[in-house]
Amino acid sequence: MSFFSPVFAFVFIPFVVIVYNLFPKKLRAAVLLAISLLFFAFVSRWLILYIILSIISIYLSGLGMQAIEKKKKEVLKTVEKDEKKAVKESYKKKKKFVLVMCIIFNVAFLFMFKYFNFFAVNVNLLLEYFKVGRSITIVKHLAPIGISFYTLEALSYVLDIYYGKIEADKNIIRLALYVAFFPQLLEGPIARYQDTAEALYEGKKVTFESFTFGYQKILYGFAKKLIIADRLNIIVKEVFEDFNSYNGISIFISIVAYTIMLYMEFSGTIDIVIGIGEMFGVKVPENFRQPFFAKNVSEFWTRWHISLGLWFKDYIFYPVSLSKTMKNLTGKAKKKLGNHYGPLVSGSVALLAVWLLNGLWHGAGWHYIFFGLYHFFMILMGNIWEPSVAKACEKMGIDRKKKGYRIFQSVKMSILVFIGELFFRAPSLAVAFAMLKRMFNAFSFRVGELFELGMDARDYVVLVFGLIGIFIMGILREKGIDVRENISKKKLVTRWLIYYALILLILIFGAYGQGYVPVDPIYADF
Amino acid sequence: MRKCVKNAIKSIIFLLLFCILVEGISIILLPFDKVKKYGIYKTSAYEIVAEKDNSIDAIFLGDSLVYSSISPMEIWNSYGYTSYDCAQPAQIMPYAYDYLEAAIESQHPKLVFIEANILFRDPEKLPLYKKVAYRIGNYIPIIKYHSNWKKYFTKDKNSWLNVDKGYIYITGIKPSKKDKLNYMHDNDELEVSILPENIEYFDNMIKLCEENDIELVLLAVPSQKSWSFTKYSMVKLLADSKGLEFIDFNIDNDLDIDWATETKDKGNHLNYWGAVKVSAYLGEYMEKTGLLTDHRGDSEYKSWTTAYGIYKEKLK
Repeated sequence: MSFFSPVFAFVFIPFVVIVYNLFPKKLRAAVLLAISLLFFAFVSRWLILYIILSIISIYLSGLGMQAIEKKKKEVLKTVEKDEKKAVKESYKKKKKFVLVMCIIFNVAFLFMFKYFNFFAVNVNLLLEYFKVGRSITIVKHLAPIGISFYTLEALSYVLDIYYGKIEADKNIIRLALYVAFFPQLLEGPIARYQDTAEALYEGKKVTFESFTFGYQKILYGFAKKLIIADRLNIIVKEVFEDFNSYNGISIFISIVAYTIMLYMEFSGTIDIVIGIGEMFGVKVPENFRQPFFAKNVSEFWTRWHISLGLWFKDYIFYPVSLSKTMKNLTGKAKKKLGNHYGPLVSGSVALLAVWLLNGLWHGAGWHYIFFGLYHFFMILMGNIWEPSVAKACEKMGIDRKKKGYRIFQSVKMSILVFIGELFFRAPSLAVAFAMLKRMFNAFSFRVGELFELGMDARDYVVLVFGLIGIFIMGILREKGIDVRENISKKKLVTRWLIYYALILLILIFGAYGQGYVPVDPIYADF
Repeated sequence: MRKCVKNAIKSIIFLLLFCILVEGISIILLPFDKVKKYGIYKTSAYEIVAEKDNSIDAIFLGDSLVYSSISPMEIWNSYGYTSYDCAQPAQIMPYAYDYLEAAIESQHPKLVFIEANILFRDPEKLPLYKKVAYRIGNYIPIIKYHSNWKKYFTKDKNSWLNVDKGYIYITGIKPSKKDKLNYMHDNDELEVSILPENIEYFDNMIKLCEENDIELVLLAVPSQKSWSFTKYSMVKLLADSKGLEFIDFNIDNDLDIDWATETKDKGNHLNYWGAVKVSAYLGEYMEKTGLLTDHRGDSEYKSWTTAYGIYKEKLK
């Protein structure tokens, strides 16, 4: 089910709110959990079993690790000082065992549903190459909805307990609701236990204010998706499906269009998730922070799909770069390469791990792996060149803080990101390279060509105005101005005029109905 | 409690004003002719009511098979008859009945064709979201006509003219690998039945046609996925029992559909070239009935000549 279907947004959500409010505060969390699980079952049927197994596994592992920790503390009180280290080590091993088992259990499901066929296809190719007369059977099956999202949430919970950041939850309803809260199932964001669990469990009444405030955010998400993303889909479909019929500039436009479309679709969905969260008094973490204002690829990824980036940073980058082996490597590298390039060596190894996994997380395919490696390379190059660029600018008298230079940085960063997203969208690596090749080999420009991509002049005008609107909103947010908060302080007439304008803009200028094909939820397959 | 009442009143006023706004904008965006006369509700669901009164000779009711297989403009060009595809995606009998009822309020067609595939569709099985979308579409017409804002920003004075008359023009080809006739046997494995409530709606439609002096014809357009011998036999029995004519293009293969080039989706629906063949046959059938008049050259039907010019341009 798409969040952008009117039935979901204007029938299902009000229905959920009414049912939720009808129950007393104590029961509301259980009601929300039941609705979330029903939603899951509606989309994924019997595969609901897997999310339930994941919840039970992290619940038991959390309690197990907590019990081990408690036991350790009790034993430590009774042993001599010189034995304490050995006791600590022994209990750490036990805790680690529980953690590792839990991770294997959950990742096994993820592997089975998302990566097994990719693995099987490639192993079969190898077996064929070496003329081994056997092969692995490819199994066709549907994956549980949002398995990549809820698995990472589940793992962050047990990892945080292991690192001592949070206490294990004894209440399985609270924990289950944190993992299965229905708006987050489709496209995230990947919240942490400490972000949403308590607020969800609290069962705050949906008030008139929280309901209307939430809907404002939902409407903004609808505007991004219907006015911009679905309109850009015309160009994207047209060119990506038959790129050989188009020349370089059209291919470049389609790549730019795809990246903006992806941003509008994904961030629009997150706006809806945040809006629904606000209704229930839950602050779902933001997943986007004006990514195209970033000055380099590294910063871009701290503003785009933030929750995924933070997950990899906390649970892959830091554990790898702070491991004993890496610390030793850093020490040696510092001596030989100095204070800038030395730490870069171990950092790069951790970064490579992050981006390989990031690519794989996005999908089981070589083009996704390449997508990850491409960003690794861009970030690494950025880090390596940074001192030289700084020196060069200083010599040339360029002030890197000036607006002109900042715009130059954002444009350069955007072009690099556009190319990265080409690998993400193209059906295979070969197609992505073929498109890149054609983009440079067949480069020419005619204004009329813009109108051969499926959109007419009126669509372009709506698109430009839509993008200007989103850009202004981005600037305001960058300056820390909360637009909704400001609107809520205005007089009723002004407020209502703004709401009516937004709704009518979506209704009239939305790219839906005959002649338009809506963008499928891009991240929903993850 | 007082706050609660205040919020409820506020919400009602907000929604009321919103409805007024939407209605107002609908008048600007809906096809001109019938907004005032028939009300926005009917214009929204049934495009045919925006046609000039008593100007349509024949209508075709049915699902996507109709709007992909029958092009009224082809019939107009060859025979001068005015026809209209009153079709909706996955149309069910109750909706077909509603459509017919709305159409004959302003039109007096001589012929009504019902594409028989809808007799086999269970109205109960229509997904809830489609039912909701249908209702919403009826009450908020700008959802359907919202893109008409573009018509205010064009130099084309015919931009408001309905050119395709319900037909959806598709030139894409996805060849079918199935044999020309074997598909009828293959599909026999599927269990099908005509539900009693569909028969009831069908009887009501017959009654409506009799009252309005309209000849009703059953029709099955070529489809390798939707049609079978079982369906043919059941509809044939039904048609015979009601004394109706039944044209099944799947049995009488006079059309000689080339399933390698004349289908848009591996044999389920025809594309433009398939539709040309079906439309030509139907035009000839209409001529044989002797019920209709050739309107070509009649100044009252000038807009059809203009529409055909635009239609032809589109085909280039």
